[in-house]
Amino acid sequence: MSEHRLRIDPAGTPRATILIVPPLFEEANRTRRTLVLAMRALATDGFAAVLPDLPGQNESLVPLVEVDLVRWQDALAKAVSGIAGPVIVASLRGGALIDHKAKAAAWWRLAPVGGASLLRTLMRARVSADREAGIASSLEGLQEEAKTAPLLLAGNRLSSAMIMQLGASEAQVVEPLRSAGLGADGIAGTPLWLRAEPGEDAAMSAAIAADIAAWSKTCGIS
Amino acid sequence: MTEANTVDATLRALLADVLGLGEARAAALTEDSGLFGELPEFDSMAVATVLTEMEDRLGILIDDDEIDGEIFETYGNLLAFSQRKVTG
Repeated sequence: MSEHRLRIDPAGTPRATILIVPPLFEEANRTRRTLVLAMRALATDGFAAVLPDLPGQNESLVPLVEVDLVRWQDALAKAVSGIAGPVIVASLRGGALIDHKAKAAAWWRLAPVGGASLLRTLMRARVSADREAGIASSLEGLQEEAKTAPLLLAGNRLSSAMIMQLGASEAQVVEPLRSAGLGADGIAGTPLWLRAEPGEDAAMSAAIAADIAAWSKTCGIS
Repeated sequence: MTEANTVDATLRALLADVLGLGEARAAALTEDSGLFGELPEFDSMAVATVLTEMEDRLGILIDDDEIDGEIFETYGNLLAFSQRKVTG
């Protein structure tokens, strides 16, 4: 089943295509607008920009409980293989955990995060919500439960496989890679992916687009 | 900057990031400022995000059983908890 993708094309033939791998789960919603503004800036600069839906996310018809990180990695590899011309894979946060199977000309990552940290936050949200509802749960108890059954974590029904993979997942080595953080040596901006309510940062979008374009040049792509 | 001041500054910046408070509102937090139940942005997901970011930015580990409702009642409580954790 093919998934929807948002594609923004430049006027004329693209210099290259930037495939954006969004952060995982709720963090994707918090950053989507800023990422799409960056895609528009990239298109103005002559790049095509593609933001695919991961299976089980956004408009996907696949139930989230049926997917895991391996399926996301394969879906991205397939998405990249269908694009003509050079592709730069640009991932944000947990997107860096699923971007390495794609055959790309270069990789760019912003604020990559380990899967264990994402899982810990999701489990804590569940424990915190349980506490409000007067139910006693714990991280250890949830870890144990996850071995045999899917868990509902902050609105996401995640399979045992997804939870086990997430807990052990780190960004993999890829080449050539620019890995940027927030701040003076990286992208000026705020960690919108942490924000309880969605925000946007147009200056950060422009900085992301400019940094990716510069990396493309450095790699001799265009 | 003393260690106590560093923890205070780190915690204010973290709450600004997670709750979208802006620098002015974050700087205006006092010991008595209410958090959970008072700030509408402070839901269970925000509590979880704050805990994970506290671990990352303050270099501490927080166990389940250390967390009770009181910690998130006021800024002063959260600051006192953080300072206890940092000084071990």
